Amino acid sequence: MTSASDLDRVGMIVLRYMRRPLFALLFVYSVGIMGMALMPGLAVDGEATHMNLFHAFYFFTYTATTTGFGELPSGFSDEQRLWAIFCLYTGAIAWFYAIGSLVGLVQNPHFIQAMDGVGFARRVKRNDEPFIILCGFGDAGSLLARGLSDHHMRAVILDSNPERIKALGVRDYTVAMPGLCADASAPKHLLAAGVEHPACRALVTLTNDDDTNLKIAVMARHLNPRLQVICRSTSAHHETHLQALDNVTVVDPFEIFAQLLYWAIARSELHNLNAWFVGARGVELGAPIQVPQGDWVLCGYGRMGHRIHRCLQGHGVGVRIIDPDVDTEVVGECTVLVQAQADHSALDAVGIEDAAGVITAMNRDSDNLNTLLSVMALNPEAFRIVRQNSHENQVAFDAARADLVLQHSLTTARRILKLLISPLIQELIDWLAQCEPTHTQELVTRLQAAVGAKPAHLWLVRLIPGEAPAVTEYLDAGGAMALGVLCRNACSFPERLPCEALAVRRAGQSIMLPDKDFSLEIDDKVLFCGIHWAEPMLQATLHNPYTLRYIVTGVDEPRGYVFAWIEERLGRRRGEYESNDRRPRP
Amino acid sequence: MNFERVVFGFFVILTLSLNYAFVAGDAGATANHNVWILTFAIIVNLVAIGLKLGDRSQIGALLLASGLVAGFLLITARVVWIVAESGDGGGPALVEMTDIMSIARGALIANIVATVILVGDTLLSRR
Repeated sequence: MTSASDLDRVGMIVLRYMRRPLFALLFVYSVGIMGMALMPGLAVDGEATHMNLFHAFYFFTYTATTTGFGELPSGFSDEQRLWAIFCLYTGAIAWFYAIGSLVGLVQNPHFIQAMDGVGFARRVKRNDEPFIILCGFGDAGSLLARGLSDHHMRAVILDSNPERIKALGVRDYTVAMPGLCADASAPKHLLAAGVEHPACRALVTLTNDDDTNLKIAVMARHLNPRLQVICRSTSAHHETHLQALDNVTVVDPFEIFAQLLYWAIARSELHNLNAWFVGARGVELGAPIQVPQGDWVLCGYGRMGHRIHRCLQGHGVGVRIIDPDVDTEVVGECTVLVQAQADHSALDAVGIEDAAGVITAMNRDSDNLNTLLSVMALNPEAFRIVRQNSHENQVAFDAARADLVLQHSLTTARRILKLLISPLIQELIDWLAQCEPTHTQELVTRLQAAVGAKPAHLWLVRLIPGEAPAVTEYLDAGGAMALGVLCRNACSFPERLPCEALAVRRAGQSIMLPDKDFSLEIDDKVLFCGIHWAEPMLQATLHNPYTLRYIVTGVDEPRGYVFAWIEERLGRRRGEYESNDRRPRP
Repeated sequence: MNFERVVFGFFVILTLSLNYAFVAGDAGATANHNVWILTFAIIVNLVAIGLKLGDRSQIGALLLASGLVAGFLLITARVVWIVAESGDGGGPALVEMTDIMSIARGALIANIVATVILVGDTLLSRR
């Protein structure tokens, strides 16, 4: 289909380019070969011999390509030599012309683009591993690709900027990530990227333009209605459009940013847990950042500032705003407002001395860093939260020693990664955000007991015959399996493996924080969090029926028929003498 | 301690030892190789195979496979011995003896594999 039409296009370009050189070669060859056959050769027995057509072709072949073996198959007459000179020059020129045209064709940008398109479509088509289509390879896109690569998830990348696609070529991803420089909103490029491919899991649109994102999402919905679409959108207008489509998840970077900011300020234990789950640098579980109470100074009231203000105000946190272009009516009356650049005098006017902290949320990194310096000078005690816009400025933000740096491309990429890799974890976080903080603290205590100071390792277990044969067999046979039993450590029975079940997904319903008596069923999906080596241990239990039986009963059951038979006989005899059950052997 | 492991380990390692006892020494000399040892090795090996029947774990399947390979090769060696002996009753000739020895050495490899798997599994299960 698409690849065939692209291939046709490539074939057509080649033919059109090579038509004249090929005709030139054909003409020169015909003239040269016929002339050579007609030229009288050396006389044998007084009669002039002639080269036959095959020999003439042979001669011309090695002459035109300037190989030049000499006078083969026999010595030439002078007439033949004259013609040979003619053949050499015309033939060689025709060859150079043909080769030059071919080289020109290979360097032709349209041809290169068409070839890239064909190669890309072929690579996507041949891939049968699950993959994700990523439209837009900016800051958030490349961070997401890095995250996917860490989880060994393939991605197909579309971006209209050739520099970004070139940069993609030099990344050291763990899996193949084919990229194409193309406009992702054109349906044929989406088709080439595999939007209808059976292994395609989701499509993520991360371009900076909301219109393009909307267009891609709509196209993808039409091309493959079953495909999950995750769409970046920053405008409320587009969001209402997108919400109307099913299977489309809208991700608003500013909304996520505002939410994270609110958690950091008012729900620090949840912020700490979330950061630990996503593996943020320097985060220790159970050691949330200490944030002072009081009013916050918000520098910058653009789209981002607007969301932050709304979010904080909605949760009862006082906000004072500094922005040169802010409209008094939009903000409302109960808020302190300074219409100026966020410099010394403005910070002074807004009362930085008695504020709990400052949030610099302007869309220029230099402004944010500059404001930080002023805040340091005026109130070194103030808690400093800063928005980082560009990933390139990482080092400067590290050096600025702000209390919390939030980079919206990173937070967006992490949120999307969670949605793609383990949607349950995001559900859990959202659930915890709705609940009382004690739930979060309880979970943190449990995780600390299980994992200690190690980094978080999350994995999903599906209780289906392909992934957990021992457990499904056991459940099919009528056995009951509690979550706490499954997590026992077969190496040191009956201790627990260092892992905690966070959530169970059953028949479209999510059960958050199941306790150890929770009874598992076939087709459950269980999200675990624990130490890295707990996963292979649990895998062994899930696969090996003997290990599973051992962690349930604490008894090593006989494996072969012979010992099973002996055990049965012994058991029966023991049953005759003693009426009680078989005692578990240590 | 698991009694089944003791018994199975006993038979697997005994097969290996008997197999080595049979192949040790100069391949050509009939006097170096005792046909009784070969016969015992076959019997012990068959017992080890029997003990592994019914094990549904992956390691059990691998042990059963290596046991079957060793048994097949040892029985082949014994059959060649019988065929070679039938002529004059004076034991196999040099040529046949070389064949028997190469087959029995192949069986030794299978037995070594079985023992390595057994030991490795026991070490890895850390109970």
